Amino acid sequence: MNRKTFYIAALTCTLLVNGCSNFLEQKPDTILPGDEVYEDPNLIKSVLANFYERLSRGLKPNTTDQYYDWGQRAGGDLYNYTTIDEAIKYDFDQVNSFDRNRWRVYDYEIVRNINQFLQGLNETTVLSETEKAPLIGEARLIRAWYYFNMCRSLGGMPLVGDEVFDYQPGDDVSALQIPRATEAETYDYIINECHTIAGLMSDQRTTNSARANKWTAKMLEARAALYAASLAKYNSQMASPIQTTGREVGIEASQSNSYYQQALDAATEVIEQSPYVLQDKHPDDKARNFYEAVSIKDGNTEVIWARDYIFPGQTHGFTTGNLPASLAQDANTSYLSVLLNLVEEFEPINTETPGVGSKFDVGALNGTPKFFETVNELFQQRDPRLGGTVIFPGALFGSSEVIYQAGQLNLENGQWVKREGAANSHDAQGNLITSVNGPVFNSALRLVNKTGFGIRKFLDETPGAGTIGRGSEVWEPRFRIAEAYLIAAEAAFELNGGSNAVALANINAVRARAGVQPLTMLTFENIVHERRVEFAFEDHRYWDMLRWRRAHLTWTGEQRNEKAGRRGLWAYRVVAPGSSENGKWAFEEKNMNFIYPNPLYFELRHYYSELDNSWLNNNPKLVRNPYQ
Amino acid sequence: MKKYSIYCLLIFVTLVSSCGKDNYEEPTSTLTGRIVYQGEPLQLKGSNQSVRIQLFQEGYDFRSPLDVFVGQDGSFSAKLFDGHYKLVTRDGNGPWLNTRDTTEVELRGSTSVDLEVTPYFTISNPSISLNGSVMNTSFTINQIVDASQIDRVILLLNTTTFVDEVSNIVRSEFSGDDVRVGEMALDVDFSDNAKAVNAKALFGRICVWPSGSDQGIFSEVVRLK
Repeated sequence: MNRKTFYIAALTCTLLVNGCSNFLEQKPDTILPGDEVYEDPNLIKSVLANFYERLSRGLKPNTTDQYYDWGQRAGGDLYNYTTIDEAIKYDFDQVNSFDRNRWRVYDYEIVRNINQFLQGLNETTVLSETEKAPLIGEARLIRAWYYFNMCRSLGGMPLVGDEVFDYQPGDDVSALQIPRATEAETYDYIINECHTIAGLMSDQRTTNSARANKWTAKMLEARAALYAASLAKYNSQMASPIQTTGREVGIEASQSNSYYQQALDAATEVIEQSPYVLQDKHPDDKARNFYEAVSIKDGNTEVIWARDYIFPGQTHGFTTGNLPASLAQDANTSYLSVLLNLVEEFEPINTETPGVGSKFDVGALNGTPKFFETVNELFQQRDPRLGGTVIFPGALFGSSEVIYQAGQLNLENGQWVKREGAANSHDAQGNLITSVNGPVFNSALRLVNKTGFGIRKFLDETPGAGTIGRGSEVWEPRFRIAEAYLIAAEAAFELNGGSNAVALANINAVRARAGVQPLTMLTFENIVHERRVEFAFEDHRYWDMLRWRRAHLTWTGEQRNEKAGRRGLWAYRVVAPGSSENGKWAFEEKNMNFIYPNPLYFELRHYYSELDNSWLNNNPKLVRNPYQ
Repeated sequence: MKKYSIYCLLIFVTLVSSCGKDNYEEPTSTLTGRIVYQGEPLQLKGSNQSVRIQLFQEGYDFRSPLDVFVGQDGSFSAKLFDGHYKLVTRDGNGPWLNTRDTTEVELRGSTSVDLEVTPYFTISNPSISLNGSVMNTSFTINQIVDASQIDRVILLLNTTTFVDEVSNIVRSEFSGDDVRVGEMALDVDFSDNAKAVNAKALFGRICVWPSGSDQGIFSEVVRLK
C-alpha cells in the first residue's frame, strides 16, 4: 500500500515538473496576422482568391453551414433552376408562390474584408504600384459585383465606401449604423466603381476567364446601367409604382435615358475594343457551336468572366444530377426537366415572323394526330440554340442518342390509342413502350424525366464528370460577349426606337451567330424573346422579368394562362403494324399540373426581398421595403 | 440493501425536483379583431399569408413587428402578453388606401379591435347561383376611392370554403369594357372543366381587383352545391 502511494506521488511529481515546459505556448500556425499577410505577394493573392470563392460559396454571416445562393448557377442548388418558367424538378412540388428572399445577399462581412484588403494593399511595400493596380481593381470589382447582387434583390442599401470600421466596447454604435442609399445611388456607385477600376485593370484575357479584367468591369457597368435604366422606365409605368418615400426603392423615370446611354457606351466599348468575340467555330453545326460557346472553356472566345471549376477539389454535381437516365454515371439522374414553355420560345429557322417563338403544330392525339418521320425533325427546324441548350427526343449527347418516349400510339378499331408504361417497359413483341429516360406520368417517381426535354447547357461530356466522386469542371459564365451585344441593342432600342441601325446591328450579330434570320425592325417583344433563348439557365430571365416589371403580368397564377402554367411535350412512337404510319412519331402537349399543381404566381410584393428583422434591429436607420 | 434504496430515493428526488420550469409563462391574453370599412368587415384572400397587419410594442430593444395574418373574412387574432400595442397595416398590402394610420390597443385579458381602412372598392348585393354548369353572378361595385380603377373582375369556384385567386378550380377573368363601377352581371360556363362539373361541393366568390393593388376585394363565400 505504501509503495503504491509512493509511486502515485512520484508520478504526480514527474508530471507536474514536466508540465512546466512551455510547449503550450506556440504561435498558431493556421492564423496569420494582417501585417504578415501583406508582406508576401503570394499571401496577398490568396486573400484575393478567398474573395472569389465567397462569390459563389459564401457563408451567411454568423452561420457555419448556410450558404448564399447567388442566383441560378451550375455549381449551386439545382432547385434554383426550377423556380421560374424554364424547368421543373422530377418530383411533386406544391410551391404556389415565389420566395422573394431566395436570392437576396446581405454580406457586409465581405465588404469589410475587401476594404481591409485594400487598406493592407495600400500600405504594403512588397508590391510596386503597377503590380498593385490590377489587384485593387479586382477587389473593387468583386465588391461592386456584391453590391449589384444585393441591389437587384433588395433595392438601395447602405454604401460604406472604402472605410474599415472599428468598434471598441463603449463606442457609440450609431456612427456605425448607416442608412440605406437610394436605389439610384446604389446603381450609380456600382457604375462609377466599374468605370474607375476599368482603367486599373488588365485588358488581356485571363485563364479560363476566372479572374476579372477591364472588360469584366465594363460589362458590370453596362449591366448595372441597363438594370437601373429599365427600372426607372418600367417601374414608373406601373399603375402604382413600387417605391419608398426615401427612394430606397424606385428610380425616377427621368433618369432612364442617361442610364441607357451609359449602358450603350460601356457595352459598345466592350464590343469594339475587347479581345472577346462571338464564338462561331462550327458554322455548319450551330447547335454544337452554341453549346461550346457557353459550356466549354477550352479555346473559348466568348466568356468574359466565369466561376471556374477544376478537378480535383473544385468541381460540382450539375452533370451528376442532370444526365438522362440512359447515360447516368451514378445514382442521381434527370433532376431537371426543361419546360415546353421555354422550348417553344426557340423560333423556327424558316419563319415568317423572326424574333418570336411559336407553338409546335402537333395536331391532337385523340383526334387527328400529326405524324413525323423522325422524332427530332420538329426540333431541328428550330433556332439551333435549342439544340445547344436542351436535349430533345432523339438528340445526341456525346455519341449516344437520348430517347424520350412517353409511350406507344396503337391503332385499335380505327382509333389511335395511347399506351403508356413504367420507365423502360416493353410490349410482348419487345417494342419499347416508355423510355428509361421517361417522360412518365407519375408525380412521385424520382430520377426520371417529366416534360420530354432534358437540359444540355452546362452538362459535361467529359468521361467521369457525372460521377459523385469526380464531379464536373464546367464553369458558370457570369458575363459573355453576347450580353454586350444584347445590352447595346436594348439600350439603343430604348433610346432611338426599333428602326435604329445600332440596335438592329447588335441584335442581328447575336442572331447571325445563332443561325436565325436577321430582324429588320426591332420590337420590345423581340428583345424579351432574344434574351430568354440566348441566356436560358444563365440567371438572367428572373431578373429581366423583374426589371421590366413584367413578372406579375406574365406569371399570373391562372391555370388557363399558358405562360404561368408549366407544360411538356411528350413523344409517342406509332406501333401499328400494317398501318402506313407505323414507326413514325406523334406528340402531345402535356400539362405538368400533375406534378406542379399551382401555376407560377408572382405578386407585387415579390419584386423586392424583405429586410430581415435582425438587420432592422441592429440598425434602426434601415427602412423597410415595400410590402413588408 | 437499505443503502441502495436510500441512493435510489436520492436520485429519484433529484430527478423530480429538477423538473421545475425556468421559462416564462406563455402568453394568455387574446387580441381579436376585424378589418372593417364603415363597420362592415372586408372579405379578403385568406391563403398564403397574403394579408397581414403588424403589431408593434414600444419600449423594447427590438423594433421588428409581429406579423398577424388576416383570414378571408377579415378577422385576425393573436395570443399576446398584456401591454400596449400599436396596430398598423402592412405597407402596400391589402386592397385599401395605404395610409398606415396607427391604431392603439391596450390589451388586458381579451380585447377586440376593429381596424378601419378605406378600400378602393366595395362589393354590395352579391348574388351567386348555379345553373347547371354555368355560374351566374350579379353584384354592385361601389367606388370608394375616386381615382382608383378596376383592373379586372374574377369569378371563382372552389371545392372548399377557401376561395381566392390561388385556391380555386375555376377562375375566370373579365377586364376592359366588361367591367365598370355600378351594377353588373357576369356568367361563366365551366362545362369544359370536369373537376368543377363533378364536384360534390362548390363554393363561389366574386373578386374585384383594383389596378395597382396587391390584393383583390372579395365577396362573401357562398355555398352553391
